[in-house]
Amino acid sequence: MDMWKEILPSWSAIGEMLIPALVVGLGAIGTYLMLPHRHGVARPRVLFGAGAVAAGLGLLGFVAFWSPPGPVLPTVFLYIFGVTSVIGAVLTITSRDPVASALWFASVVLSTSGLFLLADAPFLAAGTIIVYAGAVVVTFLFVIMLAQMEGKADYDRAARSPAMATVISFLVLWCLVYSVATVRTGPPGDESPMGRLAHEDALHRSYNLETFLGDSDEPVIHQALTPTAQISEPPPPPDPSAPVDRPSGRAEKPNVAGLGASLYSDHLVTAGIAGALLFVALIGCVAITNPRRPIRPGHDPAQVAAVGSIRP
Amino acid sequence: MPATDVFSLDVLRDYLLIGAALFALGMLGFLSRRNLIVMFLSAEMMLQGTALSLVAFGRYHGNWTGQVFTIMILTVAACEASIALALIVILYNRRSSLDVTLWQDIREEGVAATPTSVVAEEAEPIEAIPGPESYPNLTPAGVEPAHPVQPWIVTRD
Repeated sequence: MDMWKEILPSWSAIGEMLIPALVVGLGAIGTYLMLPHRHGVARPRVLFGAGAVAAGLGLLGFVAFWSPPGPVLPTVFLYIFGVTSVIGAVLTITSRDPVASALWFASVVLSTSGLFLLADAPFLAAGTIIVYAGAVVVTFLFVIMLAQMEGKADYDRAARSPAMATVISFLVLWCLVYSVATVRTGPPGDESPMGRLAHEDALHRSYNLETFLGDSDEPVIHQALTPTAQISEPPPPPDPSAPVDRPSGRAEKPNVAGLGASLYSDHLVTAGIAGALLFVALIGCVAITNPRRPIRPGHDPAQVAAVGSIRP
Repeated sequence: MPATDVFSLDVLRDYLLIGAALFALGMLGFLSRRNLIVMFLSAEMMLQGTALSLVAFGRYHGNWTGQVFTIMILTVAACEASIALALIVILYNRRSSLDVTLWQDIREEGVAATPTSVVAEEAEPIEAIPGPESYPNLTPAGVEPAHPVQPWIVTRD
């Protein structure tokens, strides 16, 4: 009997697995019904409504996994932006009209940048809005205007094996939700696995590590805790009684300035690679959109050069 | 003991959950939709979920690496979007359709072909909007001049 007790999970562990499974399953059923597909003689609008109700219930359960961040305003905005982004994501992939899909994707991007703002990343919030909502969505709309001539096309109303795709995607979501939602901060001295995890070294933050390890005299530890932008400064005085000015990383500079300093010193190669990538993509786009027609046997190369293109 | 941070492990978990939801939904859209544009929007949505997780991790650990990585993701997303749009324009010019099923010739070896009639069979029926037709019925006036009749939509070869 004792052997079984060690192998089998406890009831609370089973509940921790089943509750996310229930929530994710509701969302999966709802999303499956909302995907465009023929389901016998059932009317699409009725199915879409039923799926929306099921997915909404699943979303309510999903929101129950979140925990408020404390103060009122961040809590309110976190819930607003999170719910909006998930609803927008569902409607992006279930809309019959690609234009509606693009607009719902814009709402996902806007709420995501709101979440960036809440996480103290104002530069990324602005950058995301400019890059996505400003350029990508407008260009997608342009392509849609170019391509939408036949109205409601067949392929927009028929999903490709929706049942299997839904099962696979929501299985991934269940795994992620289960592994993320069960990480709880336990009280100190808690010896259960989750309680220990909260005090594990892997979850210590870098500035916490500095308070724990920063007093040691090992230069390796001091270098590892310091951003490389500030390592080139002269080494700290060997006199241990002298006050050592240790940079603390965050709150050293205002947000965007700190990000820029980190990007152009610690991650200089990254910035260079990003520039090279943009350049290669530019060349690739120009090469793709203006293909030279192949010279086939039977066509005169001189004529091809003169006309520019020959229709086969 | 360091001062307690507002961005606790609980808030990090909220961000990770939202990012996971965006990632899974984008994956579902990429796997199950047939429209090329919607597929690319879904891929961008997966990138959004990843960027959200990275920013939250960077904020939690108190360094800039997450945000720098997200800037890299933005760059890759911009490159991907430009190349994807170029490809979509090219593919549309060839087949006059955004259906990804038409491009199944480049599928993996050993995978059975999907007949193109499947798309029309699986498409959900279009519901007619109930109610009388709202366009006004105009009486033609005058004599119609002789002119060549041109179709509105010219389909490409």
